[in-house]
Amino acid sequence: MSNPREIFVNIKRCTGCKTCEISCAVEHSKAKNLYSAISELPTPKARLSVEWHQTAGSIPVLCRQCDDAPCMHACITGAIKRDVRGAIVTDTDKCIGCWTCVMVCPFGVIGRHLQIQKAYRCDRCPDREIPACVESCPTKALVFKTVDEYSTNKRYAFVEEMSEAIKQDV
Amino acid sequence: MKHSSYLIIGGSAAGIACAQRIKETMPSCDVTVLTDEPHLPYFRPLITYIINRKKDVSDIAMIGRGPYTCGDLNIITDCKAKSLSIDQKTVSTNKGDFGYDKLLIATGSSPNIPEELKDIRCDGIFALRKLADAQRMSQMLINARHVVMLGGGLVNLKTAFAIIEMGIKVTMIVQSLEILSQLMEPDDTSLLKNAILNSGINVITGKKAIGVISNNNSVKAVVLDDSKEIPCDIVCIGKGVKPNVEFLDNSGIYIDKGVVVDRYTQTNIADVYSAGDIAVTFNPITGQRITTALWTNAVEMGRCAGLNMIGIKTLYAGTFGIMNATQIGGIPFVSMGCVHTKDTDYEVYTHKTDASYRKIVFNKYGTRLIGAILIADITNAGIYRYLIREGKDITKIKGLLINHCIHYGHLMQLNG
Ligand SMILES: Cc1cc2nc3c(=O)[nH]c(=O)nc-3n(C[C@H](O)[C@H](O)[C@H](O)COP(=O)(O)OP(=O)(O)OC[C@H]3O[C@@H](n4cnc5c(N)ncnc54)[C@H](O)[C@@H]3O)c2cc1C
Repeated sequence: MSNPREIFVNIKRCTGCKTCEISCAVEHSKAKNLYSAISELPTPKARLSVEWHQTAGSIPVLCRQCDDAPCMHACITGAIKRDVRGAIVTDTDKCIGCWTCVMVCPFGVIGRHLQIQKAYRCDRCPDREIPACVESCPTKALVFKTVDEYSTNKRYAFVEEMSEAIKQDV
Repeated sequence: MKHSSYLIIGGSAAGIACAQRIKETMPSCDVTVLTDEPHLPYFRPLITYIINRKKDVSDIAMIGRGPYTCGDLNIITDCKAKSLSIDQKTVSTNKGDFGYDKLLIATGSSPNIPEELKDIRCDGIFALRKLADAQRMSQMLINARHVVMLGGGLVNLKTAFAIIEMGIKVTMIVQSLEILSQLMEPDDTSLLKNAILNSGINVITGKKAIGVISNNNSVKAVVLDDSKEIPCDIVCIGKGVKPNVEFLDNSGIYIDKGVVVDRYTQTNIADVYSAGDIAVTFNPITGQRITTALWTNAVEMGRCAGLNMIGIKTLYAGTFGIMNATQIGGIPFVSMGCVHTKDTDYEVYTHKTDASYRKIVFNKYGTRLIGAILIADITNAGIYRYLIREGKDITKIKGLLINHCIHYGHLMQLNG
């Protein structure tokens, strides 16, 4: 927990293929394979999304595991906590679908599963050594490293990189 | 006399968030929390689940859940603060005096009871606030056939849905023209209003209850201002809240409706801090002093107070009175910031379909986002909240906000 690995985004490498979205949804299905996952209910959901930006191109957007996670403190049921791996996770059983976490997440990365009225989010794949999105990314736009390995400034690493990608094209 | 380095009055959102913050940073220091409730801290918004027995008391406990993992808080229940001496640095309670080095006042708020109903003493009248209220109501509902709710705010609506799910008839009397008038304007409510009607809750607007008829300590009917009587067995008052400041009379703590604090959550007296529903905070855009009734704010402010109390000077960013997310009758919605726009010069965009609604409010120059209502599709609500709070110039991304297709990547355009 002292120096957990995180998912970082190398925007310049992202081609917008959305393989990460599919592998994420499959990893969070019961069957854990694409063919069965497609027809599963509740529908397995991707916990990250690849968005399009006119100057930066495609941008994978996913939970930043904030140090002082606003979602965790805002939750009115105590459903969100930091687990032993240092990942912020939502306990589906405790979630009542009040969407307070959705309202306070400045990254907009908490999804709403409307079939079950529960919030869902990236959980850093607790059953895997390397998260499914990272492993499946064909261009290595997603990397799983400790903060020290990736950047000295954890909080701004993602933000700085992103604004750089955008500025270069403006 | 018992003495603690950190004494907290009120063991709910603000108090426990503060205690957690102190313990996270300084695990070995002693923190004592006093609460006048018989229960250990619990998630107050979940008491409606106690009413219809979807959850039990252990399901809604705070300690050990979510971020509240610090184990060794000294929490004293059934302990009511009666007065505060700022000279002696002591709080007197029914369980003796408690000394402190630093004190947090986090006694929250209590339901407003309308003047005309104040003196009625009778078993079936509720103003739902505490776990004990919910337990008592749950018990009474076993034999109830009709519940009349006075007030169409969020707490009453949540309670109404909890009760109607039990198969008990519910009538809601709303004095204003529409439900949820604190959170939106009449034109904004139609989707939610339909959901309420579909649920079977009977809503009467523009009427006020002026009395309750009782017999042998039990409720028989509610009397409206047009003299109509509505027979019922339970009355539930939901007319907003007022800060619990009475015990601070003559203490020297400066009070203006609630406890007034500076931008570091300290009161006018050194070493005495306040947070949550009882505290007077401020709107970060207008600077206007406000009190709030929000769990999210109570936690944020309590955590900030915790840091200040241990000497880490931390600025509190203020809040908006309206900052709500919830779901009513299967429809999610958020209402944030400035959303009452009638007779203002704000720039307002609304978009309505059969299944969704949004209202996006900019300042009169159209350069800053100041409020938003999203109903049904609340995707990326957090980005709207962020922009409302930061007060940034949004000119470059305005169209994306109006059309509700903003995502995090676009924010970089503002920051970069
Ligand atoms: C049914 C319901 C649903 C809600 N839903 C939401 C929601 O969805 N979102 C949201 O943001 N907010 C919601 N709220 C509001 C939210 O619960 C409050 O804003 C929040 O609890 C305020 O926290 P607090 O710590 O300031 O005060 P409180 O929760 O009011 O706690 C204060 C505590 O201090 C105790 N106390 C008071 N006086 C004394 C004294 N003299 N001595 C000792 N102890 C004392 C009280 O008994 C109480 O335990 C809801 C409230 C209710 C009732």
